[in-house]
Amino acid sequence: MAGSALRRLMAEYKQLTLDPPEGIAAGPISEDNFFEWEALIAGPEGTCFEGGVFPARLVFPPDYPLSPPKMKFTCDMFHPNIFADGRVCISILHAPGDDPMGYELSAERWSPVQSVEKILLSVVSMLAEPNDESGANVDAAIMWRERRDEFNRIAQRLVRKTLGLSA
Amino acid sequence: MQLLISSVCMALTSAVIGNAYYQKQQFYPAVVYITKSNASMAVIYIQFFVIVFMFGKLLRKIFLGTLRAAEFEHLLERFWYALTETCLAFTVFRDDFNPRFVALFTVLLFLKSFHWLAEERVDFMERSPVLGWLFHIRVGSLLTMLGILDYVLLMHAYNSTLVRGPTVQLVFGFEYAILLTVIASTAIKYVLHAAEMRTDTPWENKAVFLLYTELVIGLIKVVLYLLFVVIMAKIYALPMFVFRPMFFTIRNFRKALNDVIMSRRAIRNMNTLYPDATPEELRQSDNICIICREDMVNHSKKLPCGHIFHTTCLRSWFQRQQTCPTCRLNILRTPTINSTVIPRAAEEPANAAAAGAAPAGVQPAAGADGTVINPAAAGAPDAGQPHPNGPAIRNPAVPNFADILAEANNLRNEMSNRAGIPPPPMISPFMMQPPFGYFGPPLVPPPPMPQDLNTFSEDELRAMEGNLRTHIEERIKMLRNISIMVDSANILMQQYQGIIARLPPPMQVVPPNPDATAVAAPAPSGAAGAAAADPVSASAPVCDKPSTSRAATTEAKPHEGQVNSVAISSPVANASEKVTIEDLGAEEDLNPSTDAGSVDVDSEDSSELSELRKRRLKFLEERNKSPTATSDKSD
Repeated sequence: MAGSALRRLMAEYKQLTLDPPEGIAAGPISEDNFFEWEALIAGPEGTCFEGGVFPARLVFPPDYPLSPPKMKFTCDMFHPNIFADGRVCISILHAPGDDPMGYELSAERWSPVQSVEKILLSVVSMLAEPNDESGANVDAAIMWRERRDEFNRIAQRLVRKTLGLSA
Repeated sequence: MQLLISSVCMALTSAVIGNAYYQKQQFYPAVVYITKSNASMAVIYIQFFVIVFMFGKLLRKIFLGTLRAAEFEHLLERFWYALTETCLAFTVFRDDFNPRFVALFTVLLFLKSFHWLAEERVDFMERSPVLGWLFHIRVGSLLTMLGILDYVLLMHAYNSTLVRGPTVQLVFGFEYAILLTVIASTAIKYVLHAAEMRTDTPWENKAVFLLYTELVIGLIKVVLYLLFVVIMAKIYALPMFVFRPMFFTIRNFRKALNDVIMSRRAIRNMNTLYPDATPEELRQSDNICIICREDMVNHSKKLPCGHIFHTTCLRSWFQRQQTCPTCRLNILRTPTINSTVIPRAAEEPANAAAAGAAPAGVQPAAGADGTVINPAAAGAPDAGQPHPNGPAIRNPAVPNFADILAEANNLRNEMSNRAGIPPPPMISPFMMQPPFGYFGPPLVPPPPMPQDLNTFSEDELRAMEGNLRTHIEERIKMLRNISIMVDSANILMQQYQGIIARLPPPMQVVPPNPDATAVAAPAPSGAAGAAAADPVSASAPVCDKPSTSRAATTEAKPHEGQVNSVAISSPVANASEKVTIEDLGAEEDLNPSTDAGSVDVDSEDSSELSELRKRRLKFLEERNKSPTATSDKSD
């Protein structure tokens, strides 16, 4: 009998494979290591990220689901809640207790009830509606707030880039 | 690259040796020639390191096979730190510096790296889906070999220190002692993991064993480090090179200690406070522990908020956070059953039978006359006289509303367990959808009704008047109670906001029996409407989810007015945001008309709300009066 973290990850993988939510695909990079996943997230329709397919990597801690995984986009991203290196900054990924931005309620934080699916769905909604209060990428936050056109143009360029089209 | 370096090195060594033989022709003079020449010695040293490296690779191939990327990364990281520390150690022992000394440190580093790798491998056991026999043989032999080597070297250092007094062997002896503790903890972990793997069911107490292992080993290490620092500081200089590992050891020990304390507290809470979930409860929920996503067959606990989890899953979560994973109810604010609450609960014997049975048992019960009517009274078998006007809130010993409220839920759960009565029917739909359960009735603790501040008894008034210490204390108590009421109203507001946001349209809400509305409407207050409430209680079991939420809403309204200035702060404002996050992963069968519902409810005028509220209060009154009737119905 393997560890509980592994069993839970296997269960989630099975669930995600049997009944995948729309616009999301995720699974372990290799079946030997269930603690590193790759996810593909489709940009939500009706937003500036529409049409894009964004790859990301999820790294799970050994004590998952007691601690949240880490998520990082492996493509270029320009978004108020994504760091320049691709790390995603949303409250659902933060363990209660640590508060990097100093504004989150503990009720929004990670809890074992959350799952990969919920994380990815949260990320999709984050793509659709950036939270410009928390500045993981301050430039993007300001541009989102003040020069939406320019932001949209950059986002569209990123979308084309992820699709392998020339910018 | 490595191949290139080793072949270049090999070539250089052969060149040096060949050159020496060529010049001296004989073995002995050649050896003397090489040792006299610095350049030749440098080549020989480098060759020596290359050989050690290759030997290490060979051993790794034998005992560990190929390293995973993470293992290699960690090894490299730790190796560089260890190397720096070794260089620092050289500064202390600069007088003893000679090839033998360097060789000893090389051996130490070499062994250390294998200790780290063994540790990583054993940690990885828990995370790998399948492990063959090869793995067990490898790990077992590696651990045995390292253990024996550590022991031999430790003994050697010990003897040498005894014979020759304190030398650099002190450092080695200490290092090998530390490594022995590492081997010990790794071996224990390996045995625990292996034991768990042999069975098909998760081994519940493994986490506890691991925790205590960590604690004991941590303690031994800390003692060793401290001892070493003291001895070194006395004989040589302050050993700078152990400060980093010492710091980490102490930090780990502190964490382990903290974990053990938290774990003990969690276990105690779980054993004493939370009832085991009954088979019925398990059947009514979807029988899956939301933490590990596995079936709950046995050993599951029910929290005061009604959520059920595996005992072990809960325990490991409680080590980090003392909240319910689903609804984040703070369980530490749910105290043990204390004397101040139970007697009061016993004052309401009428509640007893109704509590577990009537659907409204789910609902927070509150009397209109300022009494907290405790639906949990059922838990108290020795119920006393009916006492509808008990000054519950004014009871000076009442610690905290949240405590009382959670307690009430807790007691109720226990009650239903004991009696084998299935939990109130309205809980079940919520428990089947844990994300949704966040907003379900079980979470809403009984709202404390505002205390009637108009009617004080003479004694109470006298107690608060005057300048004596007791009077002032009495007044402070009073104020504190008021502040508690405001606080709890605040908490309730937040929960109600959540409920309101996802209510179905109010039209479905009207109870099937129209008489109930008609009769209830004119009732001036809860107490007066007792006679009229019969149809209401009759229709109660038919009430469905919407009506429950609706009732909660109606109660939320009066509180809104009461706490207007306090409650409308950021938490409330954020409530809707919270909903969306929880919402994301919720099941498909969420009511599609959520949005419409919330709008409708919000736009309702207050007269209708107060009317509903009156009806509800009356219903509760009635339920108290006729416990048998309601319990029969729910059966």
